[in-house]
Amino acid sequence: MRASDIPVAKRSLFSWVFAYNLHLQGILLAVIIITVFARVLPLEMQKRVVNEAIKLRDVDLLMLYCGIYLVSVLVASGLKYLINILQTVIGQRALAEMRNALYHHLLTLPLSFFRKTQPGLVVASLVNELVAAGDFAGEALAVPITSLLTLLVFAAYLTWLNPILAAVSLSIYPVVLLIIPLLQKKANQANKKRVDATRQYSDIIVEAVSGIHEIQGNGSYRIENQRHDQVVENLRKIRVVWNLLRFGIKTGNNFFTNLSPFLVFILGGYLTIHGRLELGALVAFLSAQEKLYDPWKELIEFYQSYQDAIVRYRRTMEYFDAAPEYQLAPLDRAPYHLHGGLEVQNMSFATEGGIPLLQGITLSLKPGEHLALVGFSGSGKSTLALCVGQLYRYTGGHVLIDGREVAEMTKTDIINNVGFVSQSPFIFGGTIERNLLYGCEARNQAAGAHATPPLPTLDQIIEVLQQTGIFVDVLRFGLNALLSPQRDRELMDVLVRVRANFQRDFGGPLADSVEFFNAQNFLHHSSIAENLIFGTAIDPAFETPNLPHTPYFLEFMERAQLTRPLLNLGAQLARQMVDILGNLPPQDIFFRESPIQPEELDTYKQLVQRLGKQPLHELPAGDREKLLILGLRFTPGRHKTVALPGLLEKRVMAGRALFKAAVERDFPEALAFYQASAYIHSQTILNNILFGKSKSSSFQAEERINQSIVQVLIEEDLLEKIIEIGMKFDVGSKGDRLSGGQRQKVAIARAFLKNPEILIMDEATSALDNKSQARIQRLLEARFKGRTTVIAVLHRLDVVKNFDQIAVMKAGKIVELGPYEELMDRKGTFYELVTGRK
Amino acid sequence: MSLSPEENSAAAACEFQQNLEILRQVRFFAGLPPEALKLLAYLCARETFRPGEHLFTQGEDDGQAFYLVSGKARLLRETNGREHEMRVFEADTFLGGISLLGSLRRLFSLAALTDVVCLVLTREKFSRVLEQFPDMMPKVLKGLVESIGAWEERFMSDAFFGADSCQQKSGVSLI
Repeated sequence: MRASDIPVAKRSLFSWVFAYNLHLQGILLAVIIITVFARVLPLEMQKRVVNEAIKLRDVDLLMLYCGIYLVSVLVASGLKYLINILQTVIGQRALAEMRNALYHHLLTLPLSFFRKTQPGLVVASLVNELVAAGDFAGEALAVPITSLLTLLVFAAYLTWLNPILAAVSLSIYPVVLLIIPLLQKKANQANKKRVDATRQYSDIIVEAVSGIHEIQGNGSYRIENQRHDQVVENLRKIRVVWNLLRFGIKTGNNFFTNLSPFLVFILGGYLTIHGRLELGALVAFLSAQEKLYDPWKELIEFYQSYQDAIVRYRRTMEYFDAAPEYQLAPLDRAPYHLHGGLEVQNMSFATEGGIPLLQGITLSLKPGEHLALVGFSGSGKSTLALCVGQLYRYTGGHVLIDGREVAEMTKTDIINNVGFVSQSPFIFGGTIERNLLYGCEARNQAAGAHATPPLPTLDQIIEVLQQTGIFVDVLRFGLNALLSPQRDRELMDVLVRVRANFQRDFGGPLADSVEFFNAQNFLHHSSIAENLIFGTAIDPAFETPNLPHTPYFLEFMERAQLTRPLLNLGAQLARQMVDILGNLPPQDIFFRESPIQPEELDTYKQLVQRLGKQPLHELPAGDREKLLILGLRFTPGRHKTVALPGLLEKRVMAGRALFKAAVERDFPEALAFYQASAYIHSQTILNNILFGKSKSSSFQAEERINQSIVQVLIEEDLLEKIIEIGMKFDVGSKGDRLSGGQRQKVAIARAFLKNPEILIMDEATSALDNKSQARIQRLLEARFKGRTTVIAVLHRLDVVKNFDQIAVMKAGKIVELGPYEELMDRKGTFYELVTGRK
Repeated sequence: MSLSPEENSAAAACEFQQNLEILRQVRFFAGLPPEALKLLAYLCARETFRPGEHLFTQGEDDGQAFYLVSGKARLLRETNGREHEMRVFEADTFLGGISLLGSLRRLFSLAALTDVVCLVLTREKFSRVLEQFPDMMPKVLKGLVESIGAWEERFMSDAFFGADSCQQKSGVSLI
């Protein structure tokens, strides 16, 4: 059996030492043997230098011996380095393999495992605890063999020099070997406790960070601090004991090994004085004996790190020693292609603690039939859906798809045929596209060699985007993207043409929603800097963030009499924003409409304190620059805490003309001024088509603009292109740049793209507005009925009418089952739920 | 805050100050600490609706509160596919404070009758502010209780109140 066939959590620490490194370990062994001999040679040379060369006063011999000495020292050092390299390569490779195997194993573990496992623990295990085991794998062969061999060779050499002295000085080591394991046992116990306490500690931190809303909401700082401090105190005590024991072992070892020269001095000195030992031999003996110390120390350290590694490794592996509930892929057949007939017979589900959540569930769906699960929360609707989708393993009865038991199918069978949209879907970091194709790619990779449908085409994706109603959002992401001057030159030219058509058709009707770029008007939705420049920088010195450091620009501001009003404005903004936001945490939602960024708040807080004490023009240059930055960032339409002073508006407009004239004279290549006939690289696609900016970010304002833009894009046949760009939108970590509704739509689109035989939707539309919910409901009825079996957990009853069957759930049982009319006529639980009467 | 006269005149006109003045007069926010009120005034957005556009829609949980700064809006309820106008709200009305506190599906739609300018505050923003000022929750609840009490008192004393079916359903303030 190959090592990789044993479940990772059951493999021994030593299995990693050789598993992937057999030939490397072989090379290592060879290098070690050479090294050991290269280490003994200098000692012999040392003896010969004293005994022969010096005694005989032979300079040539001295040179020869010293030469050999030098070479062997060089070789020994070089080889030592080579051993370290090999050790590192082996150790890191073993660590990587260990991490991979454990992670791959982890992802297949049942959901119940994750319910009782804190993320912190998993992180700590993979990131920290395994490192010791990996290091050990690198050392496992090299260190003990090098040290033992060196030790033996030196011992033999000593014996050869003088058997009696050797016996005396070596007699120490057996004593050490007796004492150290005793101490180590205690250290191991402390280490086990340390691993557990560290785990507990990371749990507490993770819990506090993920529950920070509750903690701050309840002001429960004291409770949490007490909990934390207790655990830290416990950890501290354990670590003290552990470290004391470890150092105790080192100290004890040092003490005993230092005793052995003492014995040699006494005995060797006595022998030499009485002429029974040559001085050279004594010198050689003493050096050789001293050299014993290093390999011995290494051996003891190795022993300690072995003990540490084995404790950590076992503790970690024990924790993850759970079996996946399902086989990943079938071994001897192609994955099933199912038709979606579902039969649930007397199915039950109980938690590990034995609490029954579902009992006696029986229902049956023909392929393509639609089932709605309704009932109060906690009645088991979601659990039932999860059991059918193989995410929970039912504990009794049967769930059969096309007559095959779900519990016995492999994961690949299920993902090939079942699509799942969960209540709060998880969106992965990366692009929209990645998230949309996630299910399809996973399915195709799992199927491997077996024939599968290819990934959906752009047309198919666009169709699903429209069906799920996220098309408009993706279009907006595309419209808000910046184009790259290198790649998209052609598109830019097209967009400039589109701009002209747009102006002609929609310039009038949209005048109150869009602020068009116009050299004669002050732009309330652009910053003061943008208003002044009214163009795009080509020379980096003229880019907006760099303007306040560009001397040319600063001089210009003085000339245009802008410095003073902008300093005033900056001071006013700083005071206002510090007053409003000064004590708030750096959450994006508070800073969205602020000219001060969260990370700058502290700087401006200190600046505001200085403001009262000095007139603005006497402030140090650094402070003035900071105020100027705020003033230049000020966008009257967005930063509503300060009104735009009329005087400033006039000076900015005068300044714009002055600036253009000055730059065209002094730096004709530094800027591209806005003009209707050229693409603006620093602005989004949308702003380029508009040749202006939207005046409001509200839904209805966007809607007005969108309608016109879509019309133009369709006319110009650009819609697909923009969607393609929008699909590259980065959704942020966990999709936090998407709204709740958008996340749900992406998840639904992800499942639709898979085009599964069975679609399970667990309150999949709860975050959507009425229109989107209705759209998806219509789609299910029109496109999926008769083709795809649907199981929908629903929280709203106004959409259940057209489901083939409705199962009403109460306390883990189906209390009513049947089509809408039948259940309404029965005037039972369902009737009560719909009419809200008892 | 000390502003020079020149700066002060500019600040008086800015939107933030206007919002602050408005929120001060809304019963729902009465008694909030000035820091919280300032933050809310800074966070709420000014939006315009054209006649016919919906401020909110029946059946949806949009989680927004509105203050009508100018214009008029109709409250609509749809039953069995037919839309009835329940009443018309004029400027200087605050609507939907309860939506800031928790999930609630609208029982009505509100549609602009004329051009409407309003202040909009979302539940997300409001709850983030609550997190920062945990002391304000009791005051918000107090304001809410007073509003409900005042509402039913007015309702009970209204002239048209007399039909038996209405009496059977009275008692909002008893929840």
